Amino acid sequence: MNRRVCGSFREGFWGRCAKWAKAGFTLVALLILGMGIAPAAVAQATVVPAKVSTPTKTAKPAKTAAPKPRAAMAAVAPNKTYGVSTAPIKMELFTDYQCPTCGVFYEGTLRNMISDYVALGKVYVIHHDFPLPMHKYSGQAARWANAAARVGQFQAVEGALYDNQAAWSADGNIEKFISAAMSSADFARVQKLMAGCDQPGPTAVQTGGFGLAPGAKVCPLDADIEQDIVLGLKVPVTGTPTFVITAKGRHIPATSGNVSWPILKQFFDSLLAQ
Amino acid sequence: MNRDGRATFGRILLIVGRIVLAGIFIVAAYAKMRPQAGMPWTFGSIRISLSMFAMGVDSYEMLPPWAVSPFAHVLPPLEFVLGLWILSGIALRYSALFATLLVTGFVYAMARAYMLHLGINCGCFGPGEQVGPKTLMRDGLLIPLGLAVTIGAFLTHRKGASTSMPEATSTTPAAEKLAPL
Repeated sequence: MNRRVCGSFREGFWGRCAKWAKAGFTLVALLILGMGIAPAAVAQATVVPAKVSTPTKTAKPAKTAAPKPRAAMAAVAPNKTYGVSTAPIKMELFTDYQCPTCGVFYEGTLRNMISDYVALGKVYVIHHDFPLPMHKYSGQAARWANAAARVGQFQAVEGALYDNQAAWSADGNIEKFISAAMSSADFARVQKLMAGCDQPGPTAVQTGGFGLAPGAKVCPLDADIEQDIVLGLKVPVTGTPTFVITAKGRHIPATSGNVSWPILKQFFDSLLAQ
Repeated sequence: MNRDGRATFGRILLIVGRIVLAGIFIVAAYAKMRPQAGMPWTFGSIRISLSMFAMGVDSYEMLPPWAVSPFAHVLPPLEFVLGLWILSGIALRYSALFATLLVTGFVYAMARAYMLHLGINCGCFGPGEQVGPKTLMRDGLLIPLGLAVTIGAFLTHRKGASTSMPEATSTTPAAEKLAPL
């Protein structure tokens, strides 16, 4: 009696049971597809698009009181933006000026994006400061950037900070690069805003919230940075760069790390085609 | 437990391991392909999800730029098919071995990203999950699971082959010729 029956697969896939095996495989595939996709499609169709700001984590300020988070992220930093606010894609970027990956992201991706999709009105970029505690001068660099933003020179200063990241990260001399990035009149205004802000700036702390180095004085510009940190903790930002994209009112989960421009562009194209 | 009991227990363990491993691959594929932000199931929304996964792949900084997008578009369907293949039990030893090698590759990439302090999303089961000790440990546990299923599948196959050998030789034309009339 021939005992080589189908079901044991003793003969392997290409044995005499292959026909039954293929039929079974197809049936299982169809069943799983049906089970997986159909309920998911129903569930997805009933989901309401998430709001722009959906904080999940409560910030715990380390040293200073946490300012109240604002309703719309775009309202936090009106001068730290690129492009037009009516663009179909909004990208909120949390960065640290001293973080090397942020530097690579700015030089390799953001510059291309600004000259291409931001210029064409497809993307609106909102910058948020998220200085990390392991970077000695990042808080201070964020202060300079926020002072420059108040006089309308944010874009020039951000470029200068990333272009010369290695230089000022070594000695902390940020001022000379800021002065070179704008007119002397604007720099004088920025210097005035930076009066009394020569000590290390605020950074996010690992336990949540933000803090200053021991003995450092609070600077009036710190409120802007602290608001950004509070906002970042609600994303939650755990590393830099992190970006949150909102396309046509739909909130896409945050992405971290360096992403090259062709890949990001492909993602934007898929969003714009939707 | 007698010999037959042990064999039955082993077979049950293999089936359970196979289902768990297959389920993990199917869930991982589904999480990567499912539409984001409440979008309906369309080719466009799946394309968005795969493009988003491509960003995650790119952030690992392991592949050349030209390879990122093809890899990100092929991997989730491959995971799905692999999950179905494992579940079907067809040539299990090969599917389990492939799955183990794939998981080992993933864990290596995650460990590298963690050691380099890239601070990126894992991308293992969809977006929004940071690479860290927790994700490393969770995905690392899949290696012994995959290995166990692979070894079990090879052992079962060897045992099956050895028991069917005499029967197989008895049906060969040569054996028929030699058989007394």
